[in-house]
Amino acid sequence: MAMPPMLEIVNLQKSFGNREILKGISFKVYKGEMLGLIGPSGCGKSTILKLICDLLTPDGGEVIRWSDEIGLVFQGSALLNSYTVRENLALALNQRKLKKSDENKIIDDKLKLVGLAGYADAYPSQLSGGQQKRTSFARAIVNDPKIILYDEPTTGLDPVMSTVIEDYMLELSGQLDAASIVVTHQYSTWTRCASRILLMHAGKAVWEGSAEEAVVTENPYMKQFAHATREGPMLSGLL
Amino acid sequence: MTSTLKKPRHKKALLMPLFFVEGQVAVGVELIGQVVSMWFKTMGYIIRGDFDKKEAWRQSYMIGVKSFTVVAITALCTGFAMSLQISRELVLFGADTAIGGVVSLALVREIGPITAGVMVAGRVGSSVAAELATMVITEQIDALKVMRVDPIRFLVVPRYIAGLTMTLVLSVYAMAIGLLAGIYIASIAANLPAATFLDSVHQTILDRDFVTHFIKSEINATIIVMFSCAIGLHTRGGAEDVGIATTRTIVWTMTLIFVFNYIVTSLTYAPR
Repeated sequence: MAMPPMLEIVNLQKSFGNREILKGISFKVYKGEMLGLIGPSGCGKSTILKLICDLLTPDGGEVIRWSDEIGLVFQGSALLNSYTVRENLALALNQRKLKKSDENKIIDDKLKLVGLAGYADAYPSQLSGGQQKRTSFARAIVNDPKIILYDEPTTGLDPVMSTVIEDYMLELSGQLDAASIVVTHQYSTWTRCASRILLMHAGKAVWEGSAEEAVVTENPYMKQFAHATREGPMLSGLL
Repeated sequence: MTSTLKKPRHKKALLMPLFFVEGQVAVGVELIGQVVSMWFKTMGYIIRGDFDKKEAWRQSYMIGVKSFTVVAITALCTGFAMSLQISRELVLFGADTAIGGVVSLALVREIGPITAGVMVAGRVGSSVAAELATMVITEQIDALKVMRVDPIRFLVVPRYIAGLTMTLVLSVYAMAIGLLAGIYIASIAANLPAATFLDSVHQTILDRDFVTHFIKSEINATIIVMFSCAIGLHTRGGAEDVGIATTRTIVWTMTLIFVFNYIVTSLTYAPR
């Protein structure tokens, strides 16, 4: 791609105590692209998202962002329970010091976009898991971010709701023309949504390519992950 | 071989209490550092007037209004018990007209702030720590940071303002309830009219006692809110850690309430 990336990760390293989580990973994400960051549990995928959002500080390497407007969809929605849907979204608009009417208009538009018009005054506890997830989407995009990060957005959802969420991700990615990263284990999510796949194992990138290539490649890591088999290098030392 | 292995184990076992104490001191120093840093940041926001007033009102309701019943019951029972003891002794010495003064001194100087402080620490401190720890574990705090909302401004400042105002209100309330209990018991146990009781209160209590009462209440509020917020916001792990955070909050706040109560009393009332 000739255009400059929206996000560049350069030789990123991170340890928690003696445990080395990221061992110098590098990649770029471009505008309009959705990168699928996949890999076994504990390989450092969610840590990368937290480093991009400055929730963690890297031990080495660099995160280069061409926009500070970042939206993050958390695995567990992470909505504030004592606040209504509208108040949850309004928090994200807090920095912009908008007039109440403008703020409400933006919130109503975003809620409509994720199919939750009419739920503005509901509390998170009154919503289903899928609705909470969609509220979390609306909150992440309320400032029209240029970089959207999804942390396991379909985990714990039934297949139908997963499809609904994946459709929203594709729709939002198209509408906002943002650079997106989706961290996921779910086969349908990375095959349907990601335009490029980066497979991680033990803190390093071990394969990169398109979703189509991912399911036919002979790379032992990707082959094992895509086909969910016991045979391959991923379980060595774990069983 | 066996003996060479046993010796270090034995030594380690002997040194275990020292390691434990060293670990606890390190954890305590770290927590106090977090509390001090949080207090300065909180005061910065309060001085600039940069806080959510609506949230401060909501927290005042949660901390103050919802504590009225429990504070009333404890203050009433404490007032009853204390007046009963004091009335009994003073009647023996023929000093029954001093019952009001002695009861009110105890209530204004010690019982009022302590009762309100302990009840707020038990009811509010633990719930604040559990709430914030849960917010950390469920990534709500991370969500706030991503939205560039400072958790101290958003969560700690309104609770601190509510704590400062409502702990004082509850202390005065506990004192008033205790006095009413004293009047009632004095009238039954010593046949003392309410007017005589109140006259004794008026002659005994000084302005300085109310200042001490105010200082103790505000120190209690600071201890309760700052420690519960610091412990809650620095919790990591899972559900078990929420329970640990709650217990830690209770232990720290209760202990410090009594320690600082003594420090203020000794600074204010110690003979010079």
